[in-house]
Amino acid sequence: MTGQSYVVPVPKGYRVGHWEVREPLASGAFATVYAARLTGERAPELPREAALKFLPTGTRTPRQLRHLRELAEREVDLLGRLRAPRLIRMYDTMTVDAPDHPELDGATVLVLERAEGSLDAVLERTPKPEAGPALLAQICEGLHQLHHAGWVHGDLKPANVLLLKDGSVRLADFNMAAELEGTHAYAPAFATPDYTPPELLWPEIDERGTRIRPSADVWAFGVLAHIVLTGTFPLPGGTTEARCDAATRYARGTEELRLSPELPDVWEEIIRDCLAPRHAERVTRVPDTPALLRRVEQAAGTARSARLPRLRPRRWRRPVLVAALAAVAMGAAMTVTYTLRDQAPAATAPPSCERPVVYEDGKHGHGYTAGWNSTWDFTIAQGDGGSQVREAQCLLRYLHGITEVGEVDGDFGPLTHGAVVTFQKRTGLDADGIVGPKTWQALRKAKEA
Amino acid sequence: MYSVIVVPPACARADDQIKIATGERLAFGRAGTGGLSITHEGVPRVAGEIAAHRNFWLLSNHSEDQTYVVENPEGAGEHIKVGPGRLDAPVPFEFSRVVLPAAGDLLAFDVWAPRHTFRSVARTGLSGALTAPAFTLDRSKRYFAVLTALCEPRLRGEPHASLPAVEQLVERLRSVWPAVSRSAVYWNIDYLALKLRLRPGPDTAEPGQRVNGKKESLVSLALRFDLVREDDLAVLAVGPSEVVR
Repeated sequence: MTGQSYVVPVPKGYRVGHWEVREPLASGAFATVYAARLTGERAPELPREAALKFLPTGTRTPRQLRHLRELAEREVDLLGRLRAPRLIRMYDTMTVDAPDHPELDGATVLVLERAEGSLDAVLERTPKPEAGPALLAQICEGLHQLHHAGWVHGDLKPANVLLLKDGSVRLADFNMAAELEGTHAYAPAFATPDYTPPELLWPEIDERGTRIRPSADVWAFGVLAHIVLTGTFPLPGGTTEARCDAATRYARGTEELRLSPELPDVWEEIIRDCLAPRHAERVTRVPDTPALLRRVEQAAGTARSARLPRLRPRRWRRPVLVAALAAVAMGAAMTVTYTLRDQAPAATAPPSCERPVVYEDGKHGHGYTAGWNSTWDFTIAQGDGGSQVREAQCLLRYLHGITEVGEVDGDFGPLTHGAVVTFQKRTGLDADGIVGPKTWQALRKAKEA
Repeated sequence: MYSVIVVPPACARADDQIKIATGERLAFGRAGTGGLSITHEGVPRVAGEIAAHRNFWLLSNHSEDQTYVVENPEGAGEHIKVGPGRLDAPVPFEFSRVVLPAAGDLLAFDVWAPRHTFRSVARTGLSGALTAPAFTLDRSKRYFAVLTALCEPRLRGEPHASLPAVEQLVERLRSVWPAVSRSAVYWNIDYLALKLRLRPGPDTAEPGQRVNGKKESLVSLALRFDLVREDDLAVLAVGPSEVVR
């Protein structure tokens, strides 16, 4: 950590609100993040450890950066209004009142969920992590949750993807995030060039900033997926400038996209579509993030390759690998994986939609999973989509025999709603059609093994 | 997406400018087939070639015996020479004037490279990809002095001050830039709008309003994203370190 410059130096042991500052965790272009622990009286709603993000927004900070205040406001605004399982959680915001520390006075502090580290740090230690596909599925899920709420991230990259202790993913750093106004959002005129689509490399700009669209995040996801799976950038070049140059030539049609040959076909296809050279083509090939999420989850074989440590009962490990490899080799040919799985002895079979299997969750004990998602508390209702919905549909149909749920398609429509109500009536829950913690508990209920 | 702009001799309108993107080449000479035509008998049919590369450009000299000179008009005589037959000589200037000797005359055309980039060095040592401003300005260029002078009243704490008129800008800049003129200031305002890729506002029909609207947009953009800060007012003061040449 020596030799690094911190945007906001905060002495160890410094107190802000209920928090005592510990060691620095990370520093970016605009902010520094410190570990912190809760002191004084126990506040039941607060965790004992958190990450404090300091943004130098004070009027007496040496740099007097006006736009920083705006960047801080963006993040506070988003996190204050939006809470989703794959977005970093914000517990509180504070403004530092420290007249004797001019460089700290007036700084904005965000109290955030404490993560173990960033994907960037993981990739530095182990390029091409084995859990890559599972991580990508969760990142895509986060992107979906963000876009679904009407926001564009604007700066998706490994450094802004955090991993919690249980290995699950949270998207973070929403300083560039922008809320959609119609088809566009106005983002501050900042970017990370390696993750910026060609049309935004030298963007047009007006007083409100750069106009960006969700397709910018889709491009960034394509770059990120290529890096996670192959350890290299999709566009050639040894420096950022060279790669941006290649991106420009690619967008003009004078250079072809040559993705790494080590990419499995199914991922190659996804990444190629995310990296469509122009916005118009990108939205044709990846219409929205739910569509992207479906493909990514399928390619990752998500919960089937359950990498989250607690959710990986030992005896599944080998068949899971076989199934995942088969899925990769055969593209999206799900039938083939099912065949393979059926040949495996029943006791070691991984969970499937048709045959949910009992697993042990560290927190909730024994429960069934259909292999799509391992949540016990993510609330879903009509209009939602994604792996949680698919999981619920599988459990309703194949574990509880409620066939009126219809086809398992990952979309929470009226049929699914009806099935949930039926299930809730049957189990004596509030029949509101919303799958919350209690309904999940009931859906997954299994005898202690 | 272009990165280099070639301005033919005596080019009055922006439409005549030739924009080339990285990887593209533009030939110049008397023949003028598909390239930049320079009508002078002393110029070879194919005199040379300009190639855009990343955010700078390369000059090839195709003449038998003439040396071309590329001057930096803001560089106090700074220039490079490109000898006959030399291929792909890199030109490091943001503004360049290419001078061709032709039978006793000196012919010239301009080449701009508005995408030159600058990175903050403050983050040296930090890992990970850096989130950087989408555009960067060279603080030693005249356009930066013009932008600073434009923003000055508001930087001095009057958020709603009216913007200085071009005449006032000329007066303000004279001490650091003795040769400043109205047309030079206009030119720099236009160049800033191009460099920052300012989207033209709706009220751009009238020419007078056009300049005014452009100035307004430049100032609010520059202040909003801190392209110009209070300490940058130093470029308007004559000091031991002469910032603007």
